[in-house]
Amino acid sequence: METIIAIGAAIAVLTGIGAGVGIGIATGKAAEAIARQPEAESKISKNLILGCALAEATAIYGFIIGLLIIILL
Amino acid sequence: MEELSCETVFSLPVVGGISESVVVTWIIMAVLVVASLLLTRNLSVENPGKVQLMLEAGIGWAQDFFEGIIGKEAKRYGPYLITVLIYLAAANTLAPLFGFKPPTKDLNVTAALAVMSMCLIEFSGIRKNGVKHWVKHFAEPVPVVAPITVLEIVIRPLSLCMRLFGNMLAGFVVLELLKFFVPLIVPIPVSFYFDIFDGLLQAYVFVFLTALFMTEEME
Repeated sequence: METIIAIGAAIAVLTGIGAGVGIGIATGKAAEAIARQPEAESKISKNLILGCALAEATAIYGFIIGLLIIILL
Repeated sequence: MEELSCETVFSLPVVGGISESVVVTWIIMAVLVVASLLLTRNLSVENPGKVQLMLEAGIGWAQDFFEGIIGKEAKRYGPYLITVLIYLAAANTLAPLFGFKPPTKDLNVTAALAVMSMCLIEFSGIRKNGVKHWVKHFAEPVPVVAPITVLEIVIRPLSLCMRLFGNMLAGFVVLELLKFFVPLIVPIPVSFYFDIFDGLLQAYVFVFLTALFMTEEME
């Protein structure tokens, strides 16, 4: 039973992959955009922070589910 | 594992147990109230002091920030949003620096903040466009999506709440693990990232998203 719970928590934490890829792509595109238009940097970084926060949420959900699996089961 | 749970500090006869997050919130409230009383003394138009100039710069930045998102309505909703911003910034950064557990690591605190945000989001929409428009806007653009847009009322604050809670708890857990394995020097830069940078970022994101949802609702 212990092993199964550990495996379940580990699978839940796999959501981090999506958040990592998403934030990586977003940051890369933002760097490109700033290189192309340096004067729009403040607007771009505002949107980048917003997008990163939204993309990060999936990883956070995975973390919370993993924690709940460990604590509650 | 015992660090994860929120301890009960003491219990009162009628209301029951008072948890740690409530006590830390009281301390933060007291500090903020005293600080605002002390800092706003001796304000003058003729010759502003250093403190007044710094305050004006900070408040001016926050007001411009919300005006950029919400527009004209920022005068009405700005004070609440700035209050939440200051409280969250203090809770996420100051509490860990002085050895308290951050109150936002408790799910109940973030849930309460999210419920307040939910009320504010729906209230701003109703106030701007009236109840009729508010009921009607669920069925836009096509009536088929109505269940999903009704669910959105709950999903938006839920994601706000979970984002703040998860980020603070994750930072806290990582820092506790690190303190357990390497108690010397190494936690300092990590604490800078998780407590100060991440704490301020999450406070910013929380009010930013609340303001953004309000704008969406007021359209």
